[in-house]
Amino acid sequence: MEAIEVSHLVKQFGSLTAVNDISFSVAVGETFGFLGPNGAGKTTTIRILTGISPPTSGTATIFGHDIVRETVAARQSMGIVSETSNVYTDLTGWQNMMFSAQLYRVGRSERDKNATELLKRFELYERRDDHVHGFSKGMRRRLTLAMGLVNSPRLLFLDEPTSGLDVQSNLIIRDVISDLIQRGVTVFLTTHNIEEANVLCDRVAIIDKGLIAAIDAPEQLKKTIQSVQSIEVSFDSSSPTRLGELRRIPMVNEARKEGDKFRLFTEDPSEVIDGVMAYAHSRNTRVISITTLGPSLEDVFVKLTGLQRTGGGVTAID
Amino acid sequence: MGLQDRLSRELVAAWAIAKKDVAIYYLRPGTIVGGVLFPLFMFLAFSAGKLAAPSALIPGLIGITTLFSASSIEPVSIPIERRTDTFDRLLSAPISLNALVLGESLSGFLYSVGIASIVFVAALLILRTPLVSIVPLVLGILLSSFVFATMGTLFAAYPTESPGDIISMVNLVRFPLIFISGVFIPLASLPPIGQMIAFISPLTYANDLIDSAYTGITHFNPFVDVAMLLVFILIFQFVANQLYKRFND
Repeated sequence: MEAIEVSHLVKQFGSLTAVNDISFSVAVGETFGFLGPNGAGKTTTIRILTGISPPTSGTATIFGHDIVRETVAARQSMGIVSETSNVYTDLTGWQNMMFSAQLYRVGRSERDKNATELLKRFELYERRDDHVHGFSKGMRRRLTLAMGLVNSPRLLFLDEPTSGLDVQSNLIIRDVISDLIQRGVTVFLTTHNIEEANVLCDRVAIIDKGLIAAIDAPEQLKKTIQSVQSIEVSFDSSSPTRLGELRRIPMVNEARKEGDKFRLFTEDPSEVIDGVMAYAHSRNTRVISITTLGPSLEDVFVKLTGLQRTGGGVTAID
Repeated sequence: MGLQDRLSRELVAAWAIAKKDVAIYYLRPGTIVGGVLFPLFMFLAFSAGKLAAPSALIPGLIGITTLFSASSIEPVSIPIERRTDTFDRLLSAPISLNALVLGESLSGFLYSVGIASIVFVAALLILRTPLVSIVPLVLGILLSSFVFATMGTLFAAYPTESPGDIISMVNLVRFPLIFISGVFIPLASLPPIGQMIAFISPLTYANDLIDSAYTGITHFNPFVDVAMLLVFILIFQFVANQLYKRFND
């Protein structure tokens, strides 16, 4: 039995098809990344899988329970951490934990034990009796995650768990997620942080315009676009015209400045390395470091979703 | 999962939702204005121009108190929870929509029973309002509180994040109900069309039941009043359930 089994799922809002006949499965204990640009259908899919919104057609089962016909049974084994930190700011941290546990009917002794452990784990125990409106953004996020785990779920839905957080919260949350993965909890992760998915996920699905563009292990996906290789190079001096000059080296398809380094995309790394060395020699500058890089998961994402790179990241094409 | 276990799970969750609402929303300005001050001012407005003693208006005051206070929590709490996304937490919990609607209504019910009890005790101690029988009064307060709390939850199904939108809609129903339900204008004095409309108002039966506790006289049979209030609870619960299902789509 799979943890999640999705078959020909469709969701329409009037004339808009938000999810268009998608099918996939997530094995028990697997960490599954669900990536896509804004408006691709990620949140709609999560709302269907958690039983908040019914599909227009198709089926989804959670540990064998149909999410439409056996909603309560399907939800009982889930923990849900939504994109926003949906905690009750007028309640204390402890009251939030207790409320979440009662909704999942966690017994009193287990409730107290789990809440204590989780609040300690998320470094919130000392503030457990404080009202949440005094919590920072990172603390609220950590509390949201703690509330999602209070029923010891077998399947955890994580929607953008670390988006826009401080370093401390980020580290704590990633540490907890890694621990859950080690303990065999199935994790369904949506994130804009592609490197996070690359590090954490066994497999990722890339959804775009309601359709699944690709679904595989991160390394397998990278192999599909081996043509997108790159050279990372840094020089001992800077020049305002350097980026434009590097773009003119033969076989360079694209060049980007990344901090004190330049990244040159090419299908022929050795040819470009020769070109870079010749360029450095002609400009009387020294190459401090030069590295050949394979395609990243972000490269796969960009290629499959048709996004365009800008200076520091990617932008959707309207 | 057996039926008993399922029922127990639903009731525990409903009670948890109610307790959460009690902790968060009872002292909100919108709740106090809608649930306490409105019925008080309505009572003062009607009693000021009447020759009848204030004590004679107590049954009506208890009736409109239950109407306003019971239906004042959810129109405030649910839109706020939509805005903060905490409502999704309830929608994704392992409980049925019936339990969610019940839990939301419970907090309005408790609030209304508390406020109506204060009115009753104050009338007894200050105005020395005589009471013929306490049973119809208790039944009247409990059932009408539940009817109007469920009505508030029903209106709050409308998918908005602004409490003002829901309160405006609820007031469109609450204010006319006062005038067609025999609270301040006796049913016998209403024109035939008014009397027909009164039959479809839950406040008519609530007021009749509460009034009988003070006067010993009923327009309908008290059993009819109780039965009609139970029917209204079931109808409102069913419609609220359907609306939440529809608006979540």
